[in-house]
Amino acid sequence: MKKIPLILIAFFVLIACENKDKTPTSASNFLLNTIDSEASGLRFSNLVIEDIDHNIINYIYYYNGGGVAAGDINNDGLSDLFFVSNTGANKLYVNKGNLKFEDVSEKANIKGNSSWNTGVTMADINNDGLLDIYVCAVSGLLDFTGYNELFINNGDGTFTESAKAYGLDFKGYSTQAYFFDYDKDDDLDVYIVNHAVHTNLSHGRADLRNKRAPLVGDVLLNNENGTFKDVSEAANIFGGVNGYGLSAAVSDFNNDGWDDIYVCNDFHEDDYYYINNQDGTFSEKLADNFTTISRFSMGSDAADINGDGYQDLITLDMLPKDEMVLKETEGDDAMFNMQVHLNRLGYKDQFSRNMLQINNSGDYFHETALLNKVANTDWSWSPLFADFNNDGHQDLFISNGILRRPNGLDFKKYVSSAFKGRSESEGIEWLFNSINEMSSGKVTNEIFKGNSDVFENKTGDWIANNPNISNGAIYVDLDLDGDLDIVTNNFNEDAGLYENTTNATKNYITLDFEYKGANKHGIGVKAKVYSDGKQQLKQLYTSRGFLSTTESKLHFGLNTATKIDSIAIIWPNNELQTIVNPSINKDLTIKYTATDTFYNYDNSIGKKSYFKKENLIDYTHKEDNYNDFVEEKLIPYKISTLGPAFAKADIDNNGFEDVFIGNSSNQPAQLLMNNGTGFFKSKQNVFEDDKAFEDNDATFFDADNDGDLDLYVASGINTYKMDAYQNDRLYINDKGNFTRSENRILQNTLVTTTTQAYDYDNDGDTDLFIGNLADAKDFGNTVASYILVNDGKGYFVKDDNFNLKSKVNAALWKDINNDGLKDLLVATEWDAPKIYINTNGKLVLSNIPKNINGLWQSISTFDIDNDGDQDILLGNLGTNTKFNLNFDGPLVMYYSDFDKNEKKETAIAYNKAGKYYPLNSKDELAAQMNIISKLYIDHKSFAGKTIEDVLRQGTINDAVKYKVHTLASGYLKNDNGNFNAFIPFNNPLQVAPITTFTTLNIEGKNQLMVGGNSYKMNTYHGSYSALKGIIAKDTTNYEPVSNYGIDPFNTQIKQIESIKMKHSNLLLILSNANTLKLYSYKN
Amino acid sequence: MKLKNILILLTLFIGVFSCEKNYESINISSDHYHNTVDHLTEVMIHDIFSPPVASRIYAYPNIAAYETLNQESDAYKSLSNQLQDFNINSVAKTDNLNLKLAALIAYIDVAKELVFSGERIENYRDSLYTEWQTINPNEFKSAKTYALTISYQVKTWMNADMYKETRTMPDYNIYTNDASRWEPTPPAYMKGIEPHWNKIRPFALDSAAQFKPKSHPPFSLEKDSAFYTELMDVVNLNNSIRAKGDDSEEIAIARFWDCNPFVSVNKGHFMFAEKKITPGAHWIGICKIACKQTAANFEKTVFAYTKTSIAIADAFISCWDEKYRSNLIRPETLINKYIDLEWAPILQTPPFPEYTSGHSVVSAASSEILTNIFGDNFAFNDTTELPYGLPMRHFKSFKLAAKEAAESRLYGGIHYRSAVDVGVEQGVGVGTLVNSKIIFLK
Repeated sequence: MKKIPLILIAFFVLIACENKDKTPTSASNFLLNTIDSEASGLRFSNLVIEDIDHNIINYIYYYNGGGVAAGDINNDGLSDLFFVSNTGANKLYVNKGNLKFEDVSEKANIKGNSSWNTGVTMADINNDGLLDIYVCAVSGLLDFTGYNELFINNGDGTFTESAKAYGLDFKGYSTQAYFFDYDKDDDLDVYIVNHAVHTNLSHGRADLRNKRAPLVGDVLLNNENGTFKDVSEAANIFGGVNGYGLSAAVSDFNNDGWDDIYVCNDFHEDDYYYINNQDGTFSEKLADNFTTISRFSMGSDAADINGDGYQDLITLDMLPKDEMVLKETEGDDAMFNMQVHLNRLGYKDQFSRNMLQINNSGDYFHETALLNKVANTDWSWSPLFADFNNDGHQDLFISNGILRRPNGLDFKKYVSSAFKGRSESEGIEWLFNSINEMSSGKVTNEIFKGNSDVFENKTGDWIANNPNISNGAIYVDLDLDGDLDIVTNNFNEDAGLYENTTNATKNYITLDFEYKGANKHGIGVKAKVYSDGKQQLKQLYTSRGFLSTTESKLHFGLNTATKIDSIAIIWPNNELQTIVNPSINKDLTIKYTATDTFYNYDNSIGKKSYFKKENLIDYTHKEDNYNDFVEEKLIPYKISTLGPAFAKADIDNNGFEDVFIGNSSNQPAQLLMNNGTGFFKSKQNVFEDDKAFEDNDATFFDADNDGDLDLYVASGINTYKMDAYQNDRLYINDKGNFTRSENRILQNTLVTTTTQAYDYDNDGDTDLFIGNLADAKDFGNTVASYILVNDGKGYFVKDDNFNLKSKVNAALWKDINNDGLKDLLVATEWDAPKIYINTNGKLVLSNIPKNINGLWQSISTFDIDNDGDQDILLGNLGTNTKFNLNFDGPLVMYYSDFDKNEKKETAIAYNKAGKYYPLNSKDELAAQMNIISKLYIDHKSFAGKTIEDVLRQGTINDAVKYKVHTLASGYLKNDNGNFNAFIPFNNPLQVAPITTFTTLNIEGKNQLMVGGNSYKMNTYHGSYSALKGIIAKDTTNYEPVSNYGIDPFNTQIKQIESIKMKHSNLLLILSNANTLKLYSYKN
Repeated sequence: MKLKNILILLTLFIGVFSCEKNYESINISSDHYHNTVDHLTEVMIHDIFSPPVASRIYAYPNIAAYETLNQESDAYKSLSNQLQDFNINSVAKTDNLNLKLAALIAYIDVAKELVFSGERIENYRDSLYTEWQTINPNEFKSAKTYALTISYQVKTWMNADMYKETRTMPDYNIYTNDASRWEPTPPAYMKGIEPHWNKIRPFALDSAAQFKPKSHPPFSLEKDSAFYTELMDVVNLNNSIRAKGDDSEEIAIARFWDCNPFVSVNKGHFMFAEKKITPGAHWIGICKIACKQTAANFEKTVFAYTKTSIAIADAFISCWDEKYRSNLIRPETLINKYIDLEWAPILQTPPFPEYTSGHSVVSAASSEILTNIFGDNFAFNDTTELPYGLPMRHFKSFKLAAKEAAESRLYGGIHYRSAVDVGVEQGVGVGTLVNSKIIFLK
């Protein structure tokens, strides 16, 4: 008995010792634990000195930090580390094992001679089996001297700077170098990303990028027998004065076996997407492949994150998460006029948030960062896709932080008025001395766990939530324990080292390559690991993230799989080598052996040309110049861009449906007669006379019971803002000639979104449901939608028994209870959808699940769960919208006259951890409510205030409150005629607003075509265009429309219709502000 | 007992007597008024008010002071029933009312309502109040009571001038197919400032359009058109001035009269701004110089400020009416689009349509008023911009100063010739009207 305590004590001591050795801090129980620099020996700190001549005022990238590179420079099997110091001496650390490092900088002679260093790459440039080091520099700016330096490894622990001898002594504003073999001649060429410092305030036209500018333009250097020659011009590489290049991601994006390049450009310049033409040249194809890109693009990375064999892309930006920072720094509202200006100059729409671009078979990308909640990681530099927990899925690490936030609004408005009473030079000095008044931008690095479908934030769980400034970052298995550690180059503080503690809990394999020629490490090689019924694709490029380079190995987590079925190695020359059943949990070196087997890049698998392009109708919807956001400054989206209107019916009784297409204000509508093989325009003077009207929806029906079809057209907001043109119209058909009727229908000057015809009271004439969205001048108010009852002669009165006051977007008559009478389904926004059961001409509101207020855009029926009955489909805004970032509780829109000036406003508040904050900036609120400027003099006093504080509790209580409980699209499940459950769709159907569900007979089966997107949103949102069109059989079986021969949907889809022609069917895809797209298909 | 009572009474009497005897009158000089106007200017710079809004902020406090001072003056006539919708119910004055003190109190009371940082005006007021309370509490109290009854009426009138309503009116719409239509300008591409300023109630004008100027030369990019010629003149003039260098007289003139309250600068993400006074504030400054140079007494000082600020405010209403009638595009936009992508004007283009030039209208109107008050050929050293790092300039008369101010917009590269020439005519019209229609002197 007495011996036990002694044993216990010994046990404790043992544990204590172990803890002390391994993890110095007791709180280190993360997946990735921070190892202190004392313990590791990595006492490097990127100390950046600022003085009057060298600072953020005269060099815009003063706070961008330096890179870090990993590679085994002494061939001892352990990755060594190189850190870039912007202004001081670079450092090289030799890995001594067990996460201990020795500073060998002095002997190595790599500290650098340039004034300002940036990115670093390790590569064996001279092909001697020793890793050399290439450090980029900014030179020629301010008094910065030097050039990009190449430190050739002498193999004895020393290096010799030899850039000039290799033609790599580029002198300019370099960010980072990317070594790869673009022309497949078995040597390493290099793409050097350089950055502009262009300060022309009018931006300059986008085509400036065609004119190469020295120092700042990116360059492509071809390796010609060991020396590098500039081939940028010949290879079609842009090098303009506008190229604020901050990173590139090299990858075979389109799976054609040749390396492509995505270049991230800061500020207004578009990013570049270079497709390798396989002939030594590239074609820039951003516009064809992306509809949404980040504005202030910084770091980037490419990897196949969803296991579909195509490499996806992330680009980082600077959208803050913190409520204070959001409201104290310049936000998206600054883009209100700027976006229009930049579009006019030829730039694409860009939005300030991280973008997660999902690759669709190499054909195009759709963006999902908001759905994944990886969009707002603040001032972000390095994104790294890697499997940090070895579970076989790619995770995401993002380094963050900036010394001072240079975009503070108070600093600009109230601190920096530098020149008062000072000469210009004194003013600059004063400005420099005041930079300490800028707020600190320390913010934690972030990490997200992936599962090949969606990312989950693990900051504070996998890594410490510790605000600091990390710029360059890499993953590398430093201690050879089979998991990836992380190293960061930190600004003004010691470098960061995160030790991965996954250790042996999960299986892995690491691949190392020996290739041929002057590309011994096999840069560009692909490996596909097949295990557990899944594939993982990785391609070997070492320069990743931001300014940094990782080791030339590929690491695959295998989760609990105990074996790999096979690994397909696709060498840079596209030869295929297959390794069957390799042993796992080790580093495997794969040596190239020549084969005759080439990898078959067949990108046509799964693609059909079922739909074929047609141009039977020449129609373009043109929007007018009405701008909702200047009328009501706080509304979240426009309600004036809802067209075109469409109606189809066989007007002339020739057996083929004719088509009415309405246009926006100032464009005449068209009636197109269908003869079975084509369309001809029917001359209708009244449409020319009525062109001032904006047409939102239309329906053909026999209003006056005379046997022919008349036309009701629902009006939207007209460019003249005149009520007279706001009215709906009933056009009476007189022997094929349409005239506008008077006094037959109700005056309706509201924004009408839908008109649906049906004899709901079963009295032998056709009645109408008229759905209204809003009052054109009063966004926030709910409005009446109603039933127009036909008196049998085409005169209509309101059905007083039907009362619906809401905001209607869409409606549909459909018998959902199989009683032979069509019921009325209505999609509303800031409200729940409505289902009215038709009970002998009485429309009775049916029960639906509670708390499903949404921004319902569309409604339809389909047997989506494949159980034999019709479910009710509901298109919402989707979860890939900015509302999703702060959705810890329902979204709320308040509606009241907050400033008591006889004009009601709306104010949206989002829920962040239980508190409601105003969505808008102080300046936006003040533009609608002058009182805000008096209540909050500066931005700091406004930031972090809840909506109750901002709008004052009293007025809030009096306000009308609209809620949105769900952003997800989904369906009401038909359960024996009851609709008691709302079931959200899978993520691929949440990527943008859904505006239309169309049932089509495709390949002999009823399938659903889903379209949407929105270009109506305000600057807070930008635009949503990730729903490229989906054809769904049911909730789990769906494919992109592009697999069927239809171009991906990049526009705001209004409606999709099908018309039977003599020999085939015609698919009509109608978009707002775009051309009508037509496809023929056969059932 | 009786003696004791008498003693108490006596003590009390002496006490009261000695009190009254010891308090001196609160002395209010012209400098007090100048300082208060200057303080308001400071707060306006901090809060960043656009030129039209600033002109309104100058006018109402001056009117409140003027009315407080001159309800029963022998020399000056009340503005009641002279300015649009303005009438003051006279208030019974107490004996020995310190009217100058009351005028200053009324000024401050109105001023604090007009700015965002009302607290800064209140702090200024409170320190003065404390001082006056100490010097002579009774005199202060009665002056304050009187002042606030006047200022209350001025504020009520002020609050019905459509300012509040125009705050929520639609912004300028930049969607257009019209090549001549104004677009936001570099670097901040700010929204058009005050598109509804013509709905603000004027003081002397019968309507915002009373001095509707003739149209600018018809927009045309044809080489021989009058418009294009004026456009090219801007390019050539700016280029030749730049060639002369930063020390040229033209650049000195352009900078001196810049009067752009918020010149923002972006360098990458780094944002800062230069804040200065507005054109109206500059002429308020000249008014101060004239007052000081002539050692104007308090009454004349208040009169001069009031009349000048009324003319400035009406000048802005008149000018803005035309700006958002013609909605003319700025030279910078056209030059960047059609002539020289990299061209930038010497001054930063302010965020509103081009025609007519606000500084021209305001300077001309102001100089008419100041000439009327202080006489023509009134030579002065204009030191208004010294606190903003710009040197003094000497002028032989108000009109010559106004002429230079108007001309400076051409040097600055932010206006065409017509906007300057026609702007001056428009301003002379406004100034002449104020001189003739509003009677200040009995």
